[in-house]
Formats: sequence, C-alpha cells, structure tokens
Amino acid sequence: MAGLHDVELAALAAAGDRPAFGELVRRHGSSVRGLLRRMGAEPSLADDLAQDAFLAAFERIAEFRGEGTFVGWVRRIAARLYIRRWRREGLTDPSEGDLEEATGGEATAASHIDLDGALKSLSAAERMCVSLCYGAGMSHAEAAEALNAPLGTVKSHVKRGLDKLRLRLAPPAGSSDGRREHG
Amino acid sequence: MADPDFEQSLVKMFAEAPALPDPEGFARIVEARLDRGWNLRQALIWTMGLAGGVIGFSQVFPTRVMAQMGAASDESAKVIDQGVRSLSNLQGSLDTLPLGGEVVWMAAALGVIALAFAITRAVEEF
Repeated sequence: MAGLHDVELAALAAAGDRPAFGELVRRHGSSVRGLLRRMGAEPSLADDLAQDAFLAAFERIAEFRGEGTFVGWVRRIAARLYIRRWRREGLTDPSEGDLEEATGGEATAASHIDLDGALKSLSAAERMCVSLCYGAGMSHAEAAEALNAPLGTVKSHVKRGLDKLRLRLAPPAGSSDGRREHG
Repeated sequence: MADPDFEQSLVKMFAEAPALPDPEGFARIVEARLDRGWNLRQALIWTMGLAGGVIGFSQVFPTRVMAQMGAASDESAKVIDQGVRSLSNLQGSLDTLPLGGEVVWMAAALGVIALAFAITRAVEEF
C-alpha cells in the first residue's frame, strides 16, 4: 500500500477500499491540517475540518481523476469548508475591505521567520486570500467565487498580503520582476 | 510589484506540510469516522430493505389472507348451515317423537360434532 501512487490509491478508494484511503489520509493529513491553520483556523477546528474534508473527499472520490494532485484537491475541499464555517460563524468578511491588522511577527533582518509566523502579520482577509491562492491552489477568480467577494477585492488583499509577506520572509535568491497572473 | 519567484517559493512553502502532532491519531480518527459512516449506511440500507419488505408483505399478504378467509368462511358457512339444518330437522323429528333425555343428549352431541366439523374445516381452509 505504501508503495502505491496517490492516483492508484484514489482508484482503489473509489472502488471502496477504505484502507487505501486511510493511506492517503496518513500521507496528506498534516498538509491539509496545516493549510487550515495557516488560513487562520484554531488547531482543534482545523483538525475537525480536515477530517470533514477527507470524509467529503471519500464521498466524492470518483470525481478525482488525477488531473491535479490528490492533496491539492483535498486542500481545496478543506478551504471551502473553512470558508463556509468562516462565513456562517460571522467571522471577518474579506469582502468588507481591510480588516483588523494582525500584530504579531515584527521582522528583523537577522531572524528567520517562517511562513506561519509571517502569515500572522497579515489581516484575516489577506491571510485568507493568500492562503486560498497559494495554499489551496485557487485562481483569484476561484477565490473570489468561494468567498463571494468581488474579484478586485480579492486581488487587492492578495497584493497587500504578498507585499507584507515579502517584507517578512527572506527573499529567494535570483528573484526577478514580472507579472504572473494567478487567475 | 509582482515577483514570480517569490510567488513560486510561497507556493512551495505552503505545499510543505508542517510537523503537526499525532498524524497517526488523526488518520485513525478519519478511518474510524469512515467506518462509522459505512456501518451506519449499511444499517440504513438494511433497515430500508426490511421496511420495504414489511410494507410489501403487508400489501400482498392481507389480500391473500382475506381472500382465503372469505373462501374458508363460505365453506364453513355451508358446513355450519348443514349442521344447523340437520339440527332443525332433528328438532322437527323430535316433535314427532316422544321427548326423552336420550334424544336431547343425542341432538346436543350431533350439534357439537357438526360444530367441531365446521371449525376443523375452517381451520384447514385457513
């Protein structure tokens, strides 16, 4: 089981092989849980939603055709579940413009600040939009649709979020200018 | 200003799974929930099958039973009618005979036999 590719395991799971799906959960559980935490979910909520995402993935496993990665597919399911919870519980709405500014993580040149720490410097909306586009692999348009927010608003949040992250994360070697349209 | 390299590195950073506590426990919980859902689904299917069977049986069986009971009742009614008629005949002949204790007991015995016969037939038909 451990030697099989994700697509093979997904095919087995689609045929009702639950141990095969369990292997997929073992491989990618932390990735999905991590994304939800990075989006701003509390650890316990992140774990609950990650479980829900995997269960939803099992229900819809026949829809996964191996066009993208399995983990990317589950991460998108998990992200949508979190957005639904986010909206239902009346948490901050990214369509309402800039929200409370996070206070954590002042960068210093000498200190290494990881992604999790850097994300804390973003507002909730920026964090959500950046996580959707770079963590869940959504385009700007998909993120706008998932959030039920205007495309321009999402793009603005992503841009501001990226600017903040760039300041806090060590820039990669050989960075260059140029526009990469995510959506 | 957009920075494709930075964006790519960001995607890579997001793709790296953080070290989270108890990944095995998380997988076990998901598997347990899968099993629970599966068992629940099986129980639901079984229950629905049973309910369907009961409903189907209740729709078909009473119709046949009523038809059989009706037929049995007709037969039984005939038998009982015969018994009663014989009793009536007996009563008529009793009028011509001098009444005695033996005759009354004989009539009663015949009536009981006719009734028993009718019941037996009814049970057999049912």
